[in-house]
Amino acid sequence: MIRNMMKTMTQNEGVEALSGEERREFLKLGLKVTGVFAGGSLLSLVSVVEKVYATPNQYHEKYPYKPHYSMVLHVDRCVDCEKCIHACAKTNDIPAYGFRTNILERQIPDGIEQQVEFLPVLCNQCNVAQCARVCPTSATYKSSENGIVMMDVKKCIGCLSCQVACPYNARYFNEEKWAVDKCNFCFDTRLSKGEELTACADACPAGVRIFGDISEQTSRVYREVHQVSRTVWVLRPEAGTKPNVFYTRG
Amino acid sequence: MKRLLMGLVLVGLAGVPVSADDSGGDIHYDKPVIGVLFSHESHVEDAGLDCESCHNDIFSMEAHAVQEEPDFNMLSLSEGRYCGACHDGEMAFASNTRCASCHEGAIGFRRALGMENTGASHY
Amino acid sequence: MANGMSGVGITLVELESALITRMRSGSNGYYVAVLISGLLMLAGAVAGLYATVGGHHTVYNVTREIPWGVLISSYVFFVVTSTGLCLVSSIGHIFGSKTFMPIAKRAVFLAIVTLMSGFFVILAEIKVPIRMLIYNIISPNLTSSIWWMGTLYGLALGLMIMEFIFLMLGRYRSAVICGFIALVGEIAANSNLAGVFGLLNGREFWHGPYLPIFFIASAVMVGAGAIIFFQILAQKINGDEMTGAMRVCLAGARKVAILMICVILFMTIWRTVSTLAGMPNGQYVGVMAMLTGPYALSFWGGEILMTLLAPLVLFVLSRGTHVRMLLLASAMMVFGAFFMRYNMIIIGQTIPVYIDLNVTGYTELLHYFPSVDEIIVTLGGFGMTGFLFLLGEKFFNGHKVEEH
Repeated sequence: MIRNMMKTMTQNEGVEALSGEERREFLKLGLKVTGVFAGGSLLSLVSVVEKVYATPNQYHEKYPYKPHYSMVLHVDRCVDCEKCIHACAKTNDIPAYGFRTNILERQIPDGIEQQVEFLPVLCNQCNVAQCARVCPTSATYKSSENGIVMMDVKKCIGCLSCQVACPYNARYFNEEKWAVDKCNFCFDTRLSKGEELTACADACPAGVRIFGDISEQTSRVYREVHQVSRTVWVLRPEAGTKPNVFYTRG
Repeated sequence: MKRLLMGLVLVGLAGVPVSADDSGGDIHYDKPVIGVLFSHESHVEDAGLDCESCHNDIFSMEAHAVQEEPDFNMLSLSEGRYCGACHDGEMAFASNTRCASCHEGAIGFRRALGMENTGASHY
Repeated sequence: MANGMSGVGITLVELESALITRMRSGSNGYYVAVLISGLLMLAGAVAGLYATVGGHHTVYNVTREIPWGVLISSYVFFVVTSTGLCLVSSIGHIFGSKTFMPIAKRAVFLAIVTLMSGFFVILAEIKVPIRMLIYNIISPNLTSSIWWMGTLYGLALGLMIMEFIFLMLGRYRSAVICGFIALVGEIAANSNLAGVFGLLNGREFWHGPYLPIFFIASAVMVGAGAIIFFQILAQKINGDEMTGAMRVCLAGARKVAILMICVILFMTIWRTVSTLAGMPNGQYVGVMAMLTGPYALSFWGGEILMTLLAPLVLFVLSRGTHVRMLLLASAMMVFGAFFMRYNMIIIGQTIPVYIDLNVTGYTELLHYFPSVDEIIVTLGGFGMTGFLFLLGEKFFNGHKVEEH
């Protein structure tokens, strides 16, 4: 099915030449594609899909994990009130010198309406997690159930190679735990206890952080990542990490 | 009178920052969220407003008094109260757009007050 | 007792008196050197222990964004030197080159010593070493360059110690077997060490095949330089005359050193030029920091002049016979390489991961300079190398090699 569509597309007969069913499938692909990569033509972007999601085989069938937790950040709404940072610190016992999530202040000196934008950053729970690849003792690993990059504190030797490997500065060494610490989408403190949202998503007064299961087609996360009209992007796509945290405006 | 005096003393004790210049200076709010900047300069000098435009019954002359109001929030602004009296999309940009132009955030707040840690890290 | 303990049928008493005679045969300068290096080693151990117990964050200057400081760069310096020495010793031992036989035994010993110094330094850097001993074995991650590097260097250390023991016992076939496996292990470990940096997609300054290739080449270079350095010092310590065979050997090592300096210069030049031409984001800032920025002195002075150019000139001028020049050249190269490792490791981290986003606090290079405690631990590593080298010269009677 997909192969036929790919062939059709590379022959560039145009979208109108596709059958109704093919079109729906195409749109499904197309939606995913333009949803996650800004700019470019539809045809050239198809191959980008597998760059963002876990494996090429599964991109059009389903997401690899169930639930597949993801987050969408509406950066135009963030006002750096930092309630998310405080909620996270309180829920997860973060010491004052560390953070699991942070707000960056992006400078736009030539901006017309505003010269500053706030970017919340946190662990992207990457599908190709560099930290999990480099950890010598498998202390950090990607959960095969929900896709969260977890931390097994007892195995951490404190070599800090995960900190160096992470393209997002998401990890820090927690002196009290004698291990590296990072965001785990509040799995142990909230999600596994029946809460639906992470602490930061719950605390945000401006609706910046949308958290949910991207494998669930009715979820808001799924809809927002796959809609066409607004650009959705990820941080540092060139790092090849295939993040599960998406950014958008609007 | 007593209450006004008390109020002034409390404001003074709170030590919240107001830079002293003719038009009233920058006011940095920290309630209900930290880091909202009101610049007298951009309203008085750039936009040409006079004192009466706002200091009639919308805002009192006391700096930071308004953030003690329990309904000083974005909903009120969208209903035309406080800043929303002008920032309705017609007289001035709508209060639910260009968020970071007023919301300097905790980072901007700390920077304005000369505090440490204006966005870079950490141990 | 000209050839050490390779004979069978030596009694413990004879052994003891032989050792005591040797230990007593040093000059005053020798004993001062032993004392100083021993004290440095002790100071380093104390500093490392203090940091481990009190928490690294209290005494080290490493940060969340720059977690690897001078201790890691020192570790890299020592273990790459070890690989180089192992390679140089194998030219004689394993590959049978008669030219390089005279230094083979000493090179193995020094490879062991420098590897141990590297482990000494990194023990102060790993935050929870106990877990490393347990979980590296029962919970390994085979995609981790660090795991491979640590495991392979550990195995190489064991194998080289066995090789050295076999050499002492005169069991040359066993020594060669151990030596060969150790050689393979050292080369693989060295490549994985470079892979720790080179495989990271998120760090453009390091990413790519360049570092693994560069590391091996620089290992050979430093190995040749190091063996010349230690050999000449050893002759002074033991009061030996330069034999004909040794002269030829040093001349051979010198040729290797000259060749490898040229290779490293070539690689450095091309890496610089390619970065300046394309200005790729993560790399450009780092290379500029080396050329004209805060690391310019460390780069031009430490890496180019001290490690490459000055030794090259001196090696060439020495014609392989002028001992003072050889000593100076090799000393400069060996110690200059410390700056080469420092530059690579530190600059790669001072480039913020968010530099392309234009966010406050991350638009320029971050800052790091070693703390006093870190410097003391590093000096302790040097002290350990010096201490063990000096003792080894007397203990093993100058690592004399017999024909076999």
